[in-house]
Amino acid sequence: MNKIKAFFKNEKLWYPFHVFSHPMDGFYEIRHRNMGSVPLAFFLVFCYSLCFSMNRIVASFVVNDVDARTVNSLTELIAVVMLYLLFCVGNWSVTCLMGGEGRFKDILIVVGYAMLPMILTYIPAMIISQGIAANEEAFYTIIIGIGTAYALLLGLMGIMTIHNFTLGKTLITIFLTFVAMFIIIFVVVMLTDLVSQVYSFFYSIYLELLYRS
Amino acid sequence: MRKSFKTILLVAILIISTLGECTMAFATTLPYDTYNYDYWDDIVYTPAAYVPDNSYSGVSLGTTNFTNPQDVYVSDDAVYVADTGNARVVKLNLELTEVLDIIDTFNYEGEEMTFSEPYGVCVSNENKLYVADRSQKRIWVLDEDKNVTLVVQDPQSEIIDDDFDFTPLKVAVDYANRIYVVAAGKTEGILVFDSEGNFTSFFGTISVKISVWERFWRKLSTRAQRSRQILYIATEFTGLDVDPDGFVYTTNYDTAGEQAVMKLNPKGEDVIRKGEKGVIAGDIAFSNSSSAYSGASTIVDVVYRGRGIYSILDSKRGRVFTYDSEGNLLYIFGGLGSQAGTFSQPVAIEQLGDKILVLDAGRRELMVFKSTEYGSLINEAVGLRYDGDETQAVDLWQKVLELDENFELANDGIGKAYLTSGDNEQAMKYLRLAMDKKYYSIAFRRYRNEWLKGNLQYILTGIIVVIIVWIVVRNILKMKKGKSQMKEGMLL
Repeated sequence: MNKIKAFFKNEKLWYPFHVFSHPMDGFYEIRHRNMGSVPLAFFLVFCYSLCFSMNRIVASFVVNDVDARTVNSLTELIAVVMLYLLFCVGNWSVTCLMGGEGRFKDILIVVGYAMLPMILTYIPAMIISQGIAANEEAFYTIIIGIGTAYALLLGLMGIMTIHNFTLGKTLITIFLTFVAMFIIIFVVVMLTDLVSQVYSFFYSIYLELLYRS
Repeated sequence: MRKSFKTILLVAILIISTLGECTMAFATTLPYDTYNYDYWDDIVYTPAAYVPDNSYSGVSLGTTNFTNPQDVYVSDDAVYVADTGNARVVKLNLELTEVLDIIDTFNYEGEEMTFSEPYGVCVSNENKLYVADRSQKRIWVLDEDKNVTLVVQDPQSEIIDDDFDFTPLKVAVDYANRIYVVAAGKTEGILVFDSEGNFTSFFGTISVKISVWERFWRKLSTRAQRSRQILYIATEFTGLDVDPDGFVYTTNYDTAGEQAVMKLNPKGEDVIRKGEKGVIAGDIAFSNSSSAYSGASTIVDVVYRGRGIYSILDSKRGRVFTYDSEGNLLYIFGGLGSQAGTFSQPVAIEQLGDKILVLDAGRRELMVFKSTEYGSLINEAVGLRYDGDETQAVDLWQKVLELDENFELANDGIGKAYLTSGDNEQAMKYLRLAMDKKYYSIAFRRYRNEWLKGNLQYILTGIIVVIIVWIVVRNILKMKKGKSQMKEGMLL
């Protein structure tokens, strides 16, 4: 019982909310006083993916053009986590070269924590969408838009703070991060293609031996 | 005991075997898929609206076989088939049981003439037969005694080139005996002639659509390159029909699959309504591979079927698409193949009573389709709505839903009827199923206002209670804090 109490009293657990209201201080403390937690960041990513899928399924059909039968929350979860990891790896590889101070752990935490505003806005937006008619879609889109914009802002500030970059340099690194992401995807696709070719080569040898003997 | 068990077993086997036959029979009756498109343009399989009824070849009608027949027309008292390859027009009775007449010779200024390639046929209100002959490049107008009363040939006008080769393919006549002609290679539009056979104007010109991107590339390319690019030419017309009010329905090739039908008003403007999807060209979802079976539907003919309903015929995949006056796709049937009830080369479509006639040039047959309960219910309900009798249509829509609960138009019809009768909750339910955002929102807004009106006292009470509780709790907390501070102070 005490353990559970201690778990919920842990300052780190509520730290995303502190970051939410005090981004600059919060991200600084994540970098320099170890106030962040990677599992928590992953949990937030998981929550975001859940909210994203739920929004596509549950949001009223007035604002939502998605066929709920086609939504697969599991594939969406995998896609979100993969994109998250891809972005973090890309950013890490770029900032390493550009003299960023942040560790890989910090990048994971910052990007994960930056998703909090989206989680917090998707759910009320979903509820509000149940109560609106055509021509009132603005309420829904504004809430979602604010959440997304604030999340992007948090991510930008976080990356800026943990690497101790200026704004301009951050923007350049983010652009380069996307380039790095594309390169990673390209390499992965090429690798799988080559491996499958090698595999099929050996498989055909195996088949040949099988038929000849 | 044993005996009764045996009889039970026997009966059970009998029932099971008949059941099996039933399902088998159901699965094999139709040689084609019947489907429709839902809100997301996904295919939804539906019950059949029309099923094959019969097919008639020349021999089965009591004459020689058709050769490459190209057009069919149903007048008030007869069915006319343009038997192009045999240079004749075959006149059948409405029951399609006997040949009334074979028109292959006629009197023209005292001479006996023959057709050479009668390609299009139609009949005016005055019971005159209009035959478009492709290789004679004329439209013959015959009275009932096969005397030529009018010949339309070689139109003269300032807007037509002098070397224009007039090759009429399809012909239609409206109530004022104006003649509408689809001519081969004439992309400017339908040719319109007055009742005297003088050319008056072009009708329903399709403007060429070039995107900004294509225009940009054309600007950049050289003259030599440009000459090798695709030419942006307006598409050709394929078929036409005139409704009793004088609106002309025309079909044309559209490789983009956006609009293959036009409804032209007497001024020649397109007034067709394209429904929610904004597309009226047969199949909505199709692949774009190089095979002959892929790509947008090739619409070759149209028939106006009354009360705003019209059907178009796709020769590429052998399907008949039926739309209502608002451009909603009602049902789809037909398919290519060699089984009975499928097409090989469908060229023309007509309506005979509540049946649909399709002329197949490849099979050389006139194929008849009859409506099922599902099809006739839809026709009737759509007709009632066209007449403005929406409340009466509701019963029919309910019956349609019993046969096909996914039919969005039926849900929409019922939902709108509930909306007019003031039952907002039911209206919301059905309009939600119909994915009709506009009318759902109207129902929802009314429902929301009613709900707010009915529950305002509770909402306000709730807000006041919450505020009071909040103030009380805050004061108690303050007092506690104050007490503990006092205690601390006292201790100090």
